[in-house]
Amino acid sequence: MVKDVSSNSDENLIQAAEYVEKPESQLKEMWETLKQNKAAVVGLFIIALLALIALAVWGSELLGKQILPYDPNYSDMTKSFIWPNAEHWFGTDQLGRDMLSRILDGTKISLFVGVAAVAISLSIGVMLGAIAGYRGGKTDAFIMRVMDVMLSIPSILLAIAFMAALGKGLDKAVIAIGLVSIPEYARIVRGSILSVKENDYVQAAKVIGNKDSRIIFKHILPNIISLIVVRATLGISTAVLDTAALGFLGLGVQPPYAEWGDMLGRARGFIFTAPYTLIFPGIAITIIVLAFNLLGDGLRDALDPKSRIK
Amino acid sequence: MKKIRRIVALALAVALVGVTLTACSPKKEESSTSAAPKASDTLIYAQGAEPRGLDPALVDDGESAKVMINIYDGLLKYNKDSTKVEPSLAKSWEVSADGLTYTFHLQEGVKFHDGTDFDAEAVKFNIDRQLPPQVTADMAYASFVYGSVKDVQVVDKKTVKVNLTAPSTPFLSNLAMVMSAPIVSPKALKDNKNNVNQVPVGTGPYKFVKWAKDENIVLVRNDEYWGTKAIAKNVIFKFIKDNSARVVALNNGEADMIDGIDATVVKQITDAGNKIFQAPGMNINYMAYNTSRKPFNDAKLRTAISQAINVPELVKSLYQGYSETATSILPTFMEGYDKSVTQVSYNAEAAAAAIKASGLTSVHMITYTNPRPYNSANGQALAEAIQGYLSKVGVTVKIDAFDWTTYKQKLKAGDYDIAFYGWIGDNGDPDNFMYLLAHEDPSMNIALYKNAEFNKLIAKGVETPAGPARNAIYTQLEKIAAADAAWLPISHAQTLCAYKPNIHNFYFHMTGITPLAGVSKQ
Repeated sequence: MVKDVSSNSDENLIQAAEYVEKPESQLKEMWETLKQNKAAVVGLFIIALLALIALAVWGSELLGKQILPYDPNYSDMTKSFIWPNAEHWFGTDQLGRDMLSRILDGTKISLFVGVAAVAISLSIGVMLGAIAGYRGGKTDAFIMRVMDVMLSIPSILLAIAFMAALGKGLDKAVIAIGLVSIPEYARIVRGSILSVKENDYVQAAKVIGNKDSRIIFKHILPNIISLIVVRATLGISTAVLDTAALGFLGLGVQPPYAEWGDMLGRARGFIFTAPYTLIFPGIAITIIVLAFNLLGDGLRDALDPKSRIK
Repeated sequence: MKKIRRIVALALAVALVGVTLTACSPKKEESSTSAAPKASDTLIYAQGAEPRGLDPALVDDGESAKVMINIYDGLLKYNKDSTKVEPSLAKSWEVSADGLTYTFHLQEGVKFHDGTDFDAEAVKFNIDRQLPPQVTADMAYASFVYGSVKDVQVVDKKTVKVNLTAPSTPFLSNLAMVMSAPIVSPKALKDNKNNVNQVPVGTGPYKFVKWAKDENIVLVRNDEYWGTKAIAKNVIFKFIKDNSARVVALNNGEADMIDGIDATVVKQITDAGNKIFQAPGMNINYMAYNTSRKPFNDAKLRTAISQAINVPELVKSLYQGYSETATSILPTFMEGYDKSVTQVSYNAEAAAAAIKASGLTSVHMITYTNPRPYNSANGQALAEAIQGYLSKVGVTVKIDAFDWTTYKQKLKAGDYDIAFYGWIGDNGDPDNFMYLLAHEDPSMNIALYKNAEFNKLIAKGVETPAGPARNAIYTQLEKIAAADAAWLPISHAQTLCAYKPNIHNFYFHMTGITPLAGVSKQ
């Protein structure tokens, strides 16, 4: 027996190092707790609904079919500023375009920008945070000081500056919004890595000669994935808001495409004559942001060890 | 415990609401007492920005003009309802047969506000300071107004002769402008180092009293005025930058008259019982094709695109009745306007056929994001409306919108198929508008239009004395422009002002000035 153990020690160590709480089981547990949080379920439901709308609109666009009540970009100047009625549920805008169709069409853009921007900041931020936290020393100092500088500038201002440098357009808005929230992810990841770096399983993985990249991706990140998921969910709502702000300032989409912030920005001048052009995009933004916030909060509760003990 | 806390919070909230309500009510009373009828001999005019100065030779902005028109007189002035010129400090004038010498006979017994006499020497002094060698770089309108002047001769106290280097009919219109042309007291100019921006002295119906920076300018009636004396004793020009704040000031009774408003606030103003003044505007809002390169170096294709756009429908919904559809480049009140000439008109079928035959499927449009005096809806809304029309004839439009400063740089770079622009007239002369299509400077002539025949007629128009023969030249120019379709004229924006119902005879002239001498308050 004794011999056996010694001869298999390498293998056992590997197994020990590999035996980390599996991400799948962690996510499953998360889901179980989440289900009990009604607000979070509502948020999730709204997000699913919005995603469904966005996919349907996008899909029909690709197939060249029209599932919206009207072509969202079709302007009929004889029908400008029609108040909400049976024909146009949300009324029409200055250029005689159907507001309901534009709002539904805008779902696609808001969701896409939210997810894409978070994907950018998440991938770069996690990478930078992991490197800084794991390597420490000068690398850490350099990366984190750059992040500090980025954090010290108001994010929307930074996004505008990026847009000024990159030019107008949705793709650039995604990049700008993605870039400005990198530091948040980098910080969270670095902090978590610092706290787990000295754990036995990491040391063990190191001892048996795993590469740094393998240790980070295979051993450390799965342990802090829950934190990242929460941050990313809340991050989407921030990204949607930032897109709306950029659109409001006229830096968003290429006309004539519908984007909620852009619609809001244009409607501002007609607050007295056609308030509905302001109200509906405003409600749309509120709903999507609220949904992601509810879900994010729910996730945080579900993952917070303290609340789990309770 | 929780329940008690809730009750406390509720009580606090109620108390808070109560406090704010009670805090509000005395305030209301206060404001209603302060809005009580002020002395009816003070007119308060609120404008959107502070004048740059009050020396007519040294400023170039409309905000200054509104104040200066009440302090100064020029040799000539505009007719109340058009841009025709009428006598003012010059009783009458003659033009020599060769168009090179203008003789002005001056009003007698006119005194400047500082008590000095107005005479031929004063006229010469004012023109000379804006001619080489005395003219300085900060005299923005000197070359525009007096560029054709060779010299000025004093014949006697009440007669002055102006010699030109070349015949220039617009010269008379220039003399009615509020920039450069008004006559300033020579004594005041000498006393103030040739700059009366802060201490204006003219011959006008109102005298300057004081200027509180960022707040207001106060004028008082000139009781020794040589012409019809002003009705109201005092005039205060207030500066309220924010458009909605200006509307609130009018509705609260803090101002009697305001300008710089747009269609969106009209309802708010009329609901408060105040009145709207709609003045025809001396401007043109247009779309220009880049005629220097493909695809729009082809006049047929330009015409086809212009035909695809229903301009009357577009103007009606975009400007909600506060802009007139432009059928020509010249505003309708201008000399040389002829209603028989119209620019390209809407014909979607012909447009679609011609565009299909040409194979054109996409164009690149550049535009501006902010509203302009000639386009209250802003350039992007206008471009998008046109994008809508062009999509119906199978042309996809890529719109790039920029802020105004960047936009002007992009115009200079010249990389566009279609661009948007506008023009606000200076002197009410048709040459001032039609010359844009002959301009050498690409930032003025954004269509980059070049037509030798057109340029020849422009030159002829400048020399021909005012009258039917000259008007015929401008009608001919409009015809050429219509046939070549380098521009699609869209609209002439109206100027919107608002005033209290107890204000009488208020008017805003199409050249952007507000003479207040005839305005009364009851």
